[in-house]
Amino acid sequence: MGMPPLISLEHVSFSYRDPQGKTYPVLHDLSLNIEEGNLVAVVGANGSGKTTLIRHLNGLLLPDQGRVQVCGLDTHSAAGRQAIHQQVGMVFQHPEDQIIASTLEDEAAFGPENLGLPPAEIQARVEEALRTVGLWEVRQRPPHLLSAGQEQRLALAGVLAMRPRCIVFDEATTMLDPAGRRMALEWMRRLHAEGLTILYVTHHMEEAVLAERVLVLEQGRIVRDGPPPEVFADPGALAALGLEPPPAAALAARLRPYLPGLPSNILRPEDLQEGIGRIFREQTTDDGQQTTDDGPWSVVRRPSPNSLFSFPISVSHLSHTYLLGTPLAHPALSDVSLEIGPGRSHGLLGRTGSGKSTLLQHLNGLLRPQSGKVQVGELDLSDPAVLTRSVIQAVGTVFQNPEMQFFEQYVGDEIAYGPRQFPSAEALAERVRAAMDLVGLDFETFKDRLLFTLSGGEKRKVALASALAVRPAVLLLDEPTAGLDPQSHREILARLKQLQAGGMTLVLSSHRMEDLAEMVVDLTLFEEGRVEASAPLAQVFGQARLLEVAGLEQPLAVQAAGWLRAQGWSVPEDVMTPDRLIQVVASLAVPPVERQP
Amino acid sequence: MSQFEFMRSLNIGQYLPLGSPIHRLDPRARLLAYFFLLIGLVFTRSGLGLLLGGLATLVLLRLARVPLRFALRGLLGPLPFLLILAVLQVFINAQPDTGPQFFRIGSLVVGLSDLWLGLLLLGRFFGLILLLSLGSFTLSTGELTLGLGYLLRPLARLGLPAHDFVMMLQVSLRFLPLLAQSAERIAKSQAARGADWDARGGNLLARVRRIIPVVVPLFLVSLRRAENMALAMDARGYGSVELRTSRIALKASLRDWAFGITIFLLSVGIILI
Repeated sequence: MGMPPLISLEHVSFSYRDPQGKTYPVLHDLSLNIEEGNLVAVVGANGSGKTTLIRHLNGLLLPDQGRVQVCGLDTHSAAGRQAIHQQVGMVFQHPEDQIIASTLEDEAAFGPENLGLPPAEIQARVEEALRTVGLWEVRQRPPHLLSAGQEQRLALAGVLAMRPRCIVFDEATTMLDPAGRRMALEWMRRLHAEGLTILYVTHHMEEAVLAERVLVLEQGRIVRDGPPPEVFADPGALAALGLEPPPAAALAARLRPYLPGLPSNILRPEDLQEGIGRIFREQTTDDGQQTTDDGPWSVVRRPSPNSLFSFPISVSHLSHTYLLGTPLAHPALSDVSLEIGPGRSHGLLGRTGSGKSTLLQHLNGLLRPQSGKVQVGELDLSDPAVLTRSVIQAVGTVFQNPEMQFFEQYVGDEIAYGPRQFPSAEALAERVRAAMDLVGLDFETFKDRLLFTLSGGEKRKVALASALAVRPAVLLLDEPTAGLDPQSHREILARLKQLQAGGMTLVLSSHRMEDLAEMVVDLTLFEEGRVEASAPLAQVFGQARLLEVAGLEQPLAVQAAGWLRAQGWSVPEDVMTPDRLIQVVASLAVPPVERQP
Repeated sequence: MSQFEFMRSLNIGQYLPLGSPIHRLDPRARLLAYFFLLIGLVFTRSGLGLLLGGLATLVLLRLARVPLRFALRGLLGPLPFLLILAVLQVFINAQPDTGPQFFRIGSLVVGLSDLWLGLLLLGRFFGLILLLSLGSFTLSTGELTLGLGYLLRPLARLGLPAHDFVMMLQVSLRFLPLLAQSAERIAKSQAARGADWDARGGNLLARVRRIIPVVVPLFLVSLRRAENMALAMDARGYGSVELRTSRIALKASLRDWAFGITIFLLSVGIILI
């Protein structure tokens, strides 16, 4: 027998109770051991019980039945829980809500202070923790002025200062940009290498494959438990669980019919790169399959066909400073110029805090230019006589985490809010129904549902419908798919594409390169409030260096196209999406069956 | 300028790490000094006392390197309410009408002394708001909890939950900017769907009508955030040990004593004057 497990759950069941005494079972007879030094990913659809499970790991929740032991201590005992809080640290999804103090050093000190350590010891730990996450230099900053990435690093520092043996990350990367996400994953790896036990909950399968062990939850039970290659081996089974294979595995599976030499165990982008490299080294002598004919496929993306009601938006030399004229003033945009052509959906990318959200709020008139000009169709937004109300009738907005800004109780009322402000001849119910149709929510089923009873994906659809109910010609979307599980993510994207096909122009700010590649015609890259590039999609995504400087990476399909090109395939430069890549490869490769007539 | 920057009018609850001589004082000395000044401003009956107290606060703000314009702007938010209070004070006669008459409306006699009382009320609130801003600009939550925890020790010895009280205060302070942020987001999402935020200022009724739909969701959002925060505190072992410690070692120097005593004497003067 080896060492006893660090954390063990035995036959744990747990239900939530609402005030009426009704119970909602979440975990069912769940048993699990976490060994010291493990690196574990926890995946599952929204509502599968992931958060409830991990809150059992440090005694934040106590099982109704069964028991949880951490380092041999039972979470049911109050004395044990104190030690457990110190041993198992937790980083939550919304960084700003877990920050308690008004300066970074006070924040990092909060945990050790609760342990009753002497001041010198606390000070040493605070310095160590803040240095580790790279925030020591700004230790006196008030936390509400940090970016989401910095906030999450601060949350991690607060946990590190307690010197735990295990750290649990509950969707801690959800609110982060790609650079922040990579950094968070890098820390998990590093802390794991230093001997800590790491657990993380994620909706991103490309993050899950980095673990040693993946736990898949469905309806409060662990339905898969094993190393990533085993868990992700069967795409069909994953789909049934509301999950999907990691993007590299999915792309490899689609390429394999044309590139039969591609190994079957591809999970990470690196695996795919290596796989592509290997088969071509083997096959170069095979036959001259590398045609240079890229004629029929070199179509340039066109603006959506039905753009009759659209109008151009132009921004020139726009600058904006928040809290202008106070000691807390910080610039958000400086000298930004860009054009959004009629019907040309536009993507905004860049780090958190690089100015994307601030720009979006200038396009619907919520913020007015401090200097520079914003022109939306006929409306000059520098003119105070131009009412915000008249701008938003043409330009709808879905903010980041729209669920957090719902202000009604029922679905129908929430969606009706906009139309109520702009009465028209059409009946209110009809306008609500039309908006719900657009996002695929059934009017009769959903109009009287309470908002808080909806799933994450349904809430996002309500937010979308609320913006559509005013019938704008342009829709601004700030991170429309953040925090959704894979299935909801796919559904929302499909709805947005439908809107585009119906003639709507989307202005989309997103950290997901793949989403942008699917949806937009032009892209603007922001860095520290400035425009680094504003050009057609392929021109921006084609420049790996430019993206790298902004902490971003090319979409996987673009990378894969590059790897194929390096092998001598004439994949055109405008390949941005998996669909296009497969088309091109299919046209270039000689299918294996036809090779031997 | 933006009608949505609620943070702009929120001074209390923001700590400014300016590293001034005031910031470097022992937190207990600062807390006590502010407390003395507060007592002075509350209990003085003379205009001269208020003036002195107000000036002392301004001097401290200056010493703390807080831009005065920024500090004074904090007065703008509550100004309408204070004016209403002052007007009420003028009309509700607390004093018998012995002095010279200023004007009369029907049977209502407004004397110069009443007007003076209204002015005093305004001055008192201005002084108090500035003092509270000074406190929050110069005391980080860590210093506040530590200093207050120390000063409230006698209460804790009597078995009162002094430490929980201190933590409550700290969390409330931390919540103020969060509230402003949430309110801003909710107002923006309503404006983005047609709520009328165009009318600048407008009459009081219009402003209230605009605010009410923000308040209810603000409560809901705040409750949820409070829950999250409680969870985060729990997860980091709040309440594990009887006595929390602090990263700051308290050490009162001669300078701290001098500061405390000076302000104490000044406050006694303000009350007696």
